[in-house]
Amino acid sequence: MQFTCLKVCKLSAKPEFIEAAKAGNVLARKCSKCGELHLATVYYCKKCGNKGFEDSILNGAGKVITYTIMTVPPAGFEELAPYAWVIMELDDSGIRVSGFLGKIPTPEDLPIGTSVKIIGFDERGIVLEKL
Amino acid sequence: MERESVCVLGGGSTKYGKLDDSISDITLQASVGAIESAGIEPKEIEAGYISNVFGVADKQVHLGPVVMSNLGISECPSLSIESACGSGSVSFREAFANVAAGFYDAVLVTGTEKVTHTGTDWTTTYFSYCSDFFYEGQAGASFPGLFASMARAYLNEFDATEEDLASVAVKNHENGVLNPKAHLRKKISIDDVMNSAVVASPLKLYDCCPFSDGASSVILCNEKFAKEHSKDYVKVIGSGRGGSPAALQGREQLTTIPSTKIAAAAAYKMAGITAKDIDFAEVHDCFTVAEVVDSEDLGFFEKGTGATAARNGETKLNGSISINPSGGLKSKGHPIGATGVGQVVEVFEQLTGKSGERTVNDAKIGLTQNFGATGASCAVHVFESV
Repeated sequence: MQFTCLKVCKLSAKPEFIEAAKAGNVLARKCSKCGELHLATVYYCKKCGNKGFEDSILNGAGKVITYTIMTVPPAGFEELAPYAWVIMELDDSGIRVSGFLGKIPTPEDLPIGTSVKIIGFDERGIVLEKL
Repeated sequence: MERESVCVLGGGSTKYGKLDDSISDITLQASVGAIESAGIEPKEIEAGYISNVFGVADKQVHLGPVVMSNLGISECPSLSIESACGSGSVSFREAFANVAAGFYDAVLVTGTEKVTHTGTDWTTTYFSYCSDFFYEGQAGASFPGLFASMARAYLNEFDATEEDLASVAVKNHENGVLNPKAHLRKKISIDDVMNSAVVASPLKLYDCCPFSDGASSVILCNEKFAKEHSKDYVKVIGSGRGGSPAALQGREQLTTIPSTKIAAAAAYKMAGITAKDIDFAEVHDCFTVAEVVDSEDLGFFEKGTGATAARNGETKLNGSISINPSGGLKSKGHPIGATGVGQVVEVFEQLTGKSGERTVNDAKIGLTQNFGATGASCAVHVFESV
C-alpha cells in the first residue's frame, strides 16, 4: 500500500477524490490515531472519532463483491444500458467503492469475484473495466 | 423520565395508486379520515406532522399550513419531515416522542405523496437522489439497482433462489387482493414474476413495488385523551430508530440492514418483548429481497433462512407470522412519504377489528418497520391492542 501524505485534509475532498479516480486510483484517508481506512469523503474516523488523517492513494484494482445489470437506466445512462453497477473491494486494502461498467449484457459476463479496475471518473461516477 | 403512554386513536387513508386529486387534496382527505375515525374535533389537534418527499412534483411543499388551514385550525403548528421512503415512520416517531414527553395531548400525523403524473423516467431519476448520490445514483445505480445488488449478494451467500424471492411478491399480492385501498389488486403467480421484464438483474418488474400516489393519517395522543374519546385505540409500546452507512459500499455485510437491527432492538427493549411476541408485521418490502432481509433483521427468522420461510408459506396471512397482511409496498403500493404512516393505519385497523377479510386471527401485538433508501435510516414501532 502506497501512502502519500498531503499536508491538510480538506473538509470536502470530492474534487481530489475524482482526480485520483481519473488516474485509476482511490483517494482514502487513514486515521492517524487508530489506522482505520476510509474513503476521502469522510471527515471524522468512524472507529475512534478522531479527525486527523493521512491522505493515501490506493491502487484502483480489486474484485467484484456484488453487482447488478441495469436494463432500466436512470437519466444520463440511456445510451450505456445494459451496463453493470458494481461494488468492488480493493485488492490491497479491503476498502470498497462503487462504479459502473459498460458492455455487460448478461450476469454470466461478470461473476462475483471477477477482477476489475478503476479506469476513470466521467461526469457521472467511477468508470470500471474488467481486467 | 416518566413517559406518557401514547396511543393511536384513529386512522385514515386514501386509496393508493394513480390518483387524480392534488397532493394537498389527498393530504386533506387522509387527515379528515383519521379525525373522523378518532371521533375528535380538529380543534383538539395541537400539532401536525406531515411526511413527504416530492411535494415539489405537484407544486406544493410546506404542506402542513395548507392542511391545517383547510382543517380550520390555521393557528396549529405543523412541519414537514423528509427521510426518503422512511419519512412516514420517522415523522410518526417524532410525533410519538412529543406526545410521550407531554408536550402535546393529541397530534395529527399525515404522510403523503403524489408522483405518478411525472412518469417513470422522472421518478426513477428523482428517487435516486435518496441514495448516497455521489457514489450511487450519479454512478448509475437506481433503487432497483441497489436492491438488486443486495439480492445478488443474498442469492450468492445463502440457499435461496429467484423463485423464493418471487414467492414474497405472490404472497403480498394475495393479501393485497383483500385490501380495498391497495394499488395492485390482482393475484400473480411465481411464473408471472419470473417472466416479467428484468429491471436490474436479478430483480424483475414484479419483484419491485409500484410508484404510487396516496396519503395516510393517524391521530396520536396520550392514553387519557384516548379513553375520553373512544374505546377503539391501540397503544404504542415500543419505538426505535437506527442508522446505516448511507452507501451500500460502506457496509460490512450486504445481506442485512444495520438500521433495522438497531431500531428493532430499541423498540423491543422499550416494549419489553422479543420478536417471538409479534403476531404480525408490516415491513418495508420495496423489493422482494427487502422483505426477506427485513424478516431476518427483525428477528423472525435466522439469518439466511428468510427466503426459505417465505417459500414455505410461513409469512402468509395467518401463517406462523403474518407479514404484510395489507399487501405491503408491493401490492398495497408505495407512496413514499405516506408508507410509514399507512403501515400504522393497517396495524390500527388490525388491532381494532376493522380489517375485514385480511384480518390476522387473534392478533394482540403488531409491528411496523419502514426505512429510507437502502435502509440508511429506519424506524420500528410496536403496538398492542387494549
